[in-house]
Amino acid sequence: MKNSTARLIIVLAIISIGSGLLLALTYNFTIPSIEANAAREQEIAILETLPGATKYEEIAGTEYSMYKGFDDTGKLIGISYVAEGGGFQGIIKMMIGINPEKEEITGIKILSHSETPGLGARIGEAGFQGQFAGKSINDSFVAKEDVEAITGATISSKAVAGIIKDSLPKAMEQYKASGGGK
Amino acid sequence: MKSTSYEFFKGLWKENPTFRLLLGMCPTLAVTNAAINGFAMGLATTFVLLGSNIMIAALKKLIPDKVRIPSYIIIIATFVTIADLGLAAYFPDIYKVLGLFIPLIVVNCIILGRAEAFASRNSVGASLLDALGMGAGFTWALTLLGIIREILGMGSVFGIKLFGESFISWIIFILPPGAFLTLGLLLGLFNALSKKKAEAN
Repeated sequence: MKNSTARLIIVLAIISIGSGLLLALTYNFTIPSIEANAAREQEIAILETLPGATKYEEIAGTEYSMYKGFDDTGKLIGISYVAEGGGFQGIIKMMIGINPEKEEITGIKILSHSETPGLGARIGEAGFQGQFAGKSINDSFVAKEDVEAITGATISSKAVAGIIKDSLPKAMEQYKASGGGK
Repeated sequence: MKSTSYEFFKGLWKENPTFRLLLGMCPTLAVTNAAINGFAMGLATTFVLLGSNIMIAALKKLIPDKVRIPSYIIIIATFVTIADLGLAAYFPDIYKVLGLFIPLIVVNCIILGRAEAFASRNSVGASLLDALGMGAGFTWALTLLGIIREILGMGSVFGIKLFGESFISWIIFILPPGAFLTLGLLLGLFNALSKKKAEAN
């Protein structure tokens, strides 16, 4: 009986179980590498936005994912946090490093975005990201005024500036609330 | 009876999935904005095709006709997920770019097409050759599209800059319209070539 209902069920069940087993094995085998990649990426982003920092630790209990960066001697270099907001085509996610004492941005790094390749995607380039380092957190962050916009990608440039401006006061507040501002 | 080598070589030109059968147009248009992306997509698809074709050819007698499509889809989805996890674990940079399009290999018509039209009727060996040929045909087609679009749109090939600073890139070629323009021109070109060949014969 090649087409009996019981046979249909059994064959599908066997194929599904086989598939599940194979996937469970693959998952177990690849997940350490996937997690290591994510951790490495996070570390690179944190240390890049806090020049001089060589290690970091997470600050517990803040709304943003927030990290303290220290140099070799254990001196606090600054804090770095993850902010996100709407871009031209999707969410732009970035790491923003600040020096809370000097109230200055130490660096930003775009973590993920889905802007137009060749235009808006250039927010990921060092030339654009680099201009934010050294800016006071009280700056106005308006594209084409105190922020240099990318040609042909004004919306993406404005979005990045806007995310930075919106998140800075919140981040400072959260940092102080966590007891770090003393 | 067609020779064994035919099963491999037909995918490269005569039954090329992209330029002759026009299958799998979604990834073809979507990911070919750079040569490396087209190449990686081609390889990932080849891997899935290879796995599903072999598996389906091996199981064809066991799978009842009535549930063959769901069975094929489960098998294909399994290999796609393996490719997805493997890329995420070992090639994170490529994974970031291809991201969403890897899971979408499941619905690539080339794969179900080969399962239904070829692997379910042929031996494991012939299905393996078929998968390799179709995969290679898809890969070279996507890589060619990627190379053309990357040169025109960014002035580089595989990330290597070809021209000096004065090169003004034709950004439209790395945007979606560029995919249609390039594919359309290539299809026209290949059709003209085939026609000439047919007339000569």
